[in-house]
Amino acid sequence: MRPAKTMKIELKVNGKRERREVPPSRTLLELVREDLGLTGTKAYCHSGICGACTVLLDGAAVSSCSLLAAQADGAEVTTIEGLAADGALHPIQQAFIDHFGFQCGYCTPGMVLLTKALLDEVPEPTREDIVRYMGGNICRCTGYAGILASVEAAAKALSTKD
Amino acid sequence: MCAAQSRKRDPIVGTSMPTLEAADKVTGATLYVGDLVVPGMAHAKVLRSPLPHARVVSIDAAEARALPGVVCVLTRDEVAAAGIEPVYGFVYRDAPLVALDKVRYQGDIVAVVVADDLATAEAALELIEVDYDELEPVMDVDAALADGAPLVHDTFSPIAPELRPVEGTNVCHRASIAWGDVEAGFREADRIYEDTFSAPPVQHCALDLHACVAAIEDGAITVWTNCQSPFPLQRELQRIFKMDARVIVPYVGGGFGSKSRDRLECVVTAAAQLAGRPVRLVLTQEETFLTFIRPAYRGTIKTGVKDDGTIVARHVRFTVDVGAYAISGARSANNTLKVATGPYRIPNALVECDAVYTNKPPSAPYRGLPTTQHTMAYETQLDRIARDLGIDPVELRMRNLVVDGDVHITGDLLRSTHAKECLEAAAAGIDWGKPSERPDKPAKLRGKGVSCTIKYTLTPPTRLSENGAEIELREDGLFEVRIGTVNIGQGSDTTMAQIAADGLGVGLDRIRVVHSDTALVPVDSSTTASRSTYHMGNAVLDAAAKLTADVLAVASQLLERDAASLALGPDGVEADDGESISYEELVRRSGGPLTALGECVVGGTYTAPDGTEYPIASTFWSFASAAAEVEVDTDTGEVRVLRMGAASNVGKAVNPDSVRTQLEGGVGMELGPTLFEQLVWDEGGQLLTAALMDYPLPTMETSPLYRPEIIEHPLEGGPFGAKGMGEIGSVITPAAVLNAVYDATGVMFHEVPLLPHKVLAALEGRK
Repeated sequence: MRPAKTMKIELKVNGKRERREVPPSRTLLELVREDLGLTGTKAYCHSGICGACTVLLDGAAVSSCSLLAAQADGAEVTTIEGLAADGALHPIQQAFIDHFGFQCGYCTPGMVLLTKALLDEVPEPTREDIVRYMGGNICRCTGYAGILASVEAAAKALSTKD
Repeated sequence: MCAAQSRKRDPIVGTSMPTLEAADKVTGATLYVGDLVVPGMAHAKVLRSPLPHARVVSIDAAEARALPGVVCVLTRDEVAAAGIEPVYGFVYRDAPLVALDKVRYQGDIVAVVVADDLATAEAALELIEVDYDELEPVMDVDAALADGAPLVHDTFSPIAPELRPVEGTNVCHRASIAWGDVEAGFREADRIYEDTFSAPPVQHCALDLHACVAAIEDGAITVWTNCQSPFPLQRELQRIFKMDARVIVPYVGGGFGSKSRDRLECVVTAAAQLAGRPVRLVLTQEETFLTFIRPAYRGTIKTGVKDDGTIVARHVRFTVDVGAYAISGARSANNTLKVATGPYRIPNALVECDAVYTNKPPSAPYRGLPTTQHTMAYETQLDRIARDLGIDPVELRMRNLVVDGDVHITGDLLRSTHAKECLEAAAAGIDWGKPSERPDKPAKLRGKGVSCTIKYTLTPPTRLSENGAEIELREDGLFEVRIGTVNIGQGSDTTMAQIAADGLGVGLDRIRVVHSDTALVPVDSSTTASRSTYHMGNAVLDAAAKLTADVLAVASQLLERDAASLALGPDGVEADDGESISYEELVRRSGGPLTALGECVVGGTYTAPDGTEYPIASTFWSFASAAAEVEVDTDTGEVRVLRMGAASNVGKAVNPDSVRTQLEGGVGMELGPTLFEQLVWDEGGQLLTAALMDYPLPTMETSPLYRPEIIEHPLEGGPFGAKGMGEIGSVITPAAVLNAVYDATGVMFHEVPLLPHKVLAALEGRK
């Protein structure tokens, strides 16, 4: 009953090549969650505001609910499942645990990936940098002080690691 | 004292630690209900009423049913044909599974479409024809209370015995409590103040959308949901469908009260029954705004004081807009009668409330019920009194705050108060008493404010246990702790594991936690009202004590030692003389796992020193304070919260960092409704602020970044002295901000949110 027209796309998700046929209206969020079963990416507002669905598209943080899967054709996508390498937590993930950067954990995948994008772009961010950048994602449980502390600790851990 | 506790070992209770599930949460491995897939499941979408109040004349779903991919459409006709109970509700049985004769708000559930995929279900919604006969709506309490107002419900159906509807009106609960002689109190007063405060509805905006999956197999229901009350839901499912039911609640991504009672589960189960296969429903953010909201509040508070600031009488009258269904809203209003006069010694008090039906979405608790709005009312008025009397606001509070041994207006003897210490700590967080730094332009004004509160917890009218906890020593030598508490983000698994570990005297590595599955854990009333740490904590501790005794009795036989010489060690039971038996071996040789059931008995009455018997109004009372420093831009009307302080006496912090984060989070969340959040309906009853686009939430950019203080004065009877604190951060926030704005501008605000245009208009009025 739906128009049967689909599009062929090819992209890399967490380092793995994926070839898919998707309807043109399929969002990147739907592709990731439903077609690939990567449910670590969360949904809430479906309008690009809350940031729960944040993924990295060629390293940049994007709201996957507001992008079409077709727009990710040829790109490299990183979801929260792709961050920990060989079972070891990424320093950002460890920082969020150590500094109580979450409670319910629902916004956490998005927050962690947003932090990754920030620190890739600005390795030694000021507090103002962090507040401006992280202001793009919403957390309902924590009040944000723990998230700020987590991002600051992650920046420190990554800079001493290099 | 059991032998285990005499062994040397650092306590785990009181130590900060990441939650047990922390690693899964940062890797995205944690599964929430919306992530669950059940084989063969179909997808549901809800057809909602476009009108706030109307008679449903006819529903024609034939075209929708004919759409390829549609499995079924559930309307009132299918509910009637199935012979199931058509109406549900927790304290009021007034909510239909799907609309019967009427729809009562824009967004009310009319039908449910089940299809093979979501897109088809959505397309089918468009094909359902509903003929409505429009009725006049009552969109607020004033309209609902007016003479001759249209009735939202023709009859009342309260379940909870304390509810008192007023026949022939929209008042679904009218109640009052009195203490002393309020009229005599006012006669004694040197000055009397009266103010009316109001707050519009808001929504909780828990990011984990309301969702459930229902399946019926072999004549039994299984529901996966993110509801905060799995056991009451289980009972409701069994009543409606006359079938056994199991409710499983996985990790939940926040609820804040919006999931405190079930709202979708029964109708989705009816859809699954009709479909003959499992059905999943995940709401959209817009739909959550039509599911449960925080009610509109208005309260008039009249306070009589002596010239030295001593409060001698207080009269509070308030209304709560419970919306179209009083599923839980009526009881919420009733419960807050107990705290409407604040954490003060008040010899003469009268508190009256009306809980009123309107054509808004049903109301639910919001991190502290209307306690938040009561606190806003009595604390903002107190600053007016302080100004009028020329007394420092902190000093005025110090003169009136309760202390241990005081008797509250409910007759309860107060213990573990330390309200003054909370106030001192919160005020210190913003350097109370020191002038604010000069703002960067003259049009900006800065000011400081404080607030104090008292909060109750849900307490049964008679003495009983509302929850149990089970601990089993398993064959693999691990202790499995089974709790009904829903892990909604507060870290309850970890808190209970810590309590169990110290109760047993074993390491955390020996503890496993199973949570909120009605088939696997003992009954629990709900994860609400800041009740879990106290109630479930006590049940876990009771189970630990009983299991310890059982394990030692078995070990005593196996080791041929006196039980008094034995204790639970890290890997097994140890005797004074060095003999030991591993837990694995003990279970093997004793014939199987050892299990103990613990409980927490609360409620009933207590006898005052003068011999009077009082029902216990609250098992424990929570106390907290907040302080805020704000900057008001008199050119734009913008209010910025620069700094905050907050403190609560939590009795004992089981996991201090977790407690601090919850307190901070409550404050941070409530800054939204204080500064900018509100739900707005137009005259026709249409919700205008339906999406996040029109409903901004606090972000890191709008939030003051600070850390609250934990105050610990153990509560006798609490597990390790602990009491509840999950909601109190919210409760103390609006008044502190309003008072800071009052201090900055000299203008007292009687309502939230402090939207720039309202601030500007009020400042205009000052000139």
